Amino acid sequence: MKDQLISIEHLFVTLNGSHQPLLEDVNLTIKMGEMVGLIGESGSGKSLTSRAVTGLLPKEMRVSGRISYGGNNLLELSDKERYKQLGIKIGYIFQDYRGSFTPFIRIGKQMTETIRTHIKLTKKQSEQLAREVLNEVGLEDKTIYHRFPFQLSGGQIQRAAVAMTLALKPELIICDEMTTALDVITGEKVLNYLAKVQKETGCAVLIITHDLAQAYKHTNRIYVMQQGRIVEEGLSEEVRCHHKHPYTKKLCSCLLALPGEDLITTASQVMVK
Amino acid sequence: MKKGNATLFNLPITTKLGITLVSFLLILIFFGEWIMPYDPFQIDMNNRLESMSHQHWLGTDQLGRDIFSRIVYGAKLTIGLGVITIILSVIVGVPIGLISGFSGGKIDAVFMRIIDAILTFPDFILAIAIAGLLGPSLTNIVIAIVLVRWIVYARLVRSQVLELKQQEYILASKISYSSKWRTIRMHILPHLIPTIIAIGAVDVGKVILLISSLSYIGLGAQPHIPEWGAMLNDGRGYFQVVPALMMYPGLAIMLTVLIFHLLGDGLKNRFDIRKRGLRK
Amino acid sequence: MKTLTIEKLTKSYAKETVALDEFSLGIDQGGCIGIVGESGSGKSTLARILLGLESFDQGQILFKGLQIPPKKKKDYRDYRRDVQMVFQDATSALNPKLPIWKIILEPLDNFKEVKPSFIKEDGLSRKAVASHLLEMVGLEREFVDRYPYQLSGGQKQRVSIARAISLEPSLLICDEPTASLDVTVQFQILELLKKLQEETNMTILFISHDIRAVTFLCEKIVVLKQGIIVDHFHMKDLYKKNRHLYTKQLIKVASLS
Repeated sequence: MKDQLISIEHLFVTLNGSHQPLLEDVNLTIKMGEMVGLIGESGSGKSLTSRAVTGLLPKEMRVSGRISYGGNNLLELSDKERYKQLGIKIGYIFQDYRGSFTPFIRIGKQMTETIRTHIKLTKKQSEQLAREVLNEVGLEDKTIYHRFPFQLSGGQIQRAAVAMTLALKPELIICDEMTTALDVITGEKVLNYLAKVQKETGCAVLIITHDLAQAYKHTNRIYVMQQGRIVEEGLSEEVRCHHKHPYTKKLCSCLLALPGEDLITTASQVMVK
Repeated sequence: MKKGNATLFNLPITTKLGITLVSFLLILIFFGEWIMPYDPFQIDMNNRLESMSHQHWLGTDQLGRDIFSRIVYGAKLTIGLGVITIILSVIVGVPIGLISGFSGGKIDAVFMRIIDAILTFPDFILAIAIAGLLGPSLTNIVIAIVLVRWIVYARLVRSQVLELKQQEYILASKISYSSKWRTIRMHILPHLIPTIIAIGAVDVGKVILLISSLSYIGLGAQPHIPEWGAMLNDGRGYFQVVPALMMYPGLAIMLTVLIFHLLGDGLKNRFDIRKRGLRK
Repeated sequence: MKTLTIEKLTKSYAKETVALDEFSLGIDQGGCIGIVGESGSGKSTLARILLGLESFDQGQILFKGLQIPPKKKKDYRDYRRDVQMVFQDATSALNPKLPIWKIILEPLDNFKEVKPSFIKEDGLSRKAVASHLLEMVGLEREFVDRYPYQLSGGQKQRVSIARAISLEPSLLICDEPTASLDVTVQFQILELLKKLQEETNMTILFISHDIRAVTFLCEKIVVLKQGIIVDHFHMKDLYKKNRHLYTKQLIKVASLS
């Protein structure tokens, strides 16, 4: 249990004045260097879970349970303490990529400024760092660094957002429907870069998605969520092929097979490059 | 489940107040004849400029007419004219807005230029000009204000139509071979009516103010008619001696405008909430 | 003869943004044709042009031998009856102020003389016709009196489909009908479309970015990229070597390995 990075225990979230909890007894752990998927349909509570971790829950919601991170219970910390304890250790990437950067400030400037508010670096060092991480996610720092966000495509911005998050050297990156607003091919590219840097830096990643194929492909372990509860948990392979819960079964049966593709056994041999 | 069906009971307090007060005004308008203690036109030179008393609740004016009776009678006149003006403005403005927004292109451009041209003048000045041309009478004042006021509705409707046109159910309606008129009736008017009612209610207050102002400067009701604005004009000469002559009609106008504002604002919020509920 | 022939259809918005570039395609009656493309590939423009909601610059479209959009009033009426559409966003496609039965019956009300084959008895009330249509798309009869905001996304899409098939069109254009739905609901809608296609032999033009959905529903697939057809093939040739590079990429991204 030593390598456990974050663990959510018996998390309940209820809207004030309502008896039906939005999240019910959610238990979820992420180990160091793991890629974890959290899948579910809209309204299943997957985004709410990530918001509980980052302290972004609306004030009208009551929370109980425990989110342990580095010996602290995140739910008990005040905003200020949370910031002090967590600092920049948890990065967050949103679905709506247009919100990640202010449109009229150059990417490079925004990155260096963000870096310098969190890490003590000189201007030169932070620029160096920004360029490095941009390269890491496959963006040419020479051009991108001086561009305005509106000059970039959605995929490029999302990659820059990944780069930005990486520059702060987080221990955990939470990606909430990161690719939903992107084209399939672009989304895949972003995910591949994310996987690459994850391997290099050894940080943990939580991928929140409704896309089963994406979760199967890019994560080691999957949590399946339905109506505020976690109904199944297991290695991606297990969830895909040997699921137990009827809801998981229903979800998996709804993933349409490509012709000749067998979703239950390993699909890899059948595919043509 | 039916969040949109707010009843009379769970409306905000200001709206309730607005509705109650408007009902009160309606009673004044429809049953005023019975409430009036005197004939509002009855001249009684023996009791000129009396102050408040049991016989004359609000006193009498320079010709001995009972002020309370005149204000009650004036309510019918003033508010009635306000409502009629708004209804006429809606009748003129809404079809123009619909045609303009729905057909777009040249027709739209022509209407919009006309509206822009009218908008360059402040509406009060324009109303004075038109009323002045037509000659002082209550009918002419209504015509003058309608000519200025229809723009509000035309613009409101046009902008809403432009927004609704983006909705896919309008496209679906076209694909279903519905005629333009049918599309408007089925898909556009139901969305417009609540907004028009809400804006109209606020506007009644504004128009009452406008009518009274025009009457005050002598372009509307003639002095013997107890229209509130005309009453103000009437009492002007005696203001220093008997302020009541101007105070009561002034108060009546102020309160009425306020009441319609409350009602209109409440309705606006109500329909907005409804819309949100429906979108959900 | 082909039901729908599109020849060198070209449409550009501004000088440099070409939505469709010399798009040519022939479609037989019956079956599902899938058009795959990402955003900006021109696939939605194609749908709007075929429905006469947008004009085009060059080329011609023939539907049952008639130029689209037809000039004569009678031809135009027939075309409106024969070509229907299912939209991506069912919420925006249903008027929130109308009860479901009024929404569904809008097309039939415009074609009073049409007696759909699924109505067996005479003298049915309008609501009965509407509830019959609801049953055809797998919804309960009670839904006729509800309003769109009381329905879930999938149910709304079913209502939208019911409206589209009420005139028994020979061509049904579906523009990303499943894109804004949950996975489980997506599957149900696709199954419904498949079933309806088999029952009525209408042609479905299925436009989507999701290659899995397209392979589930369609026999023929057209791959569109930046307004140009890059690939056009039969489902059984999906994995053939001569597939266009872009098609291969799309398949690879969708696959699980």
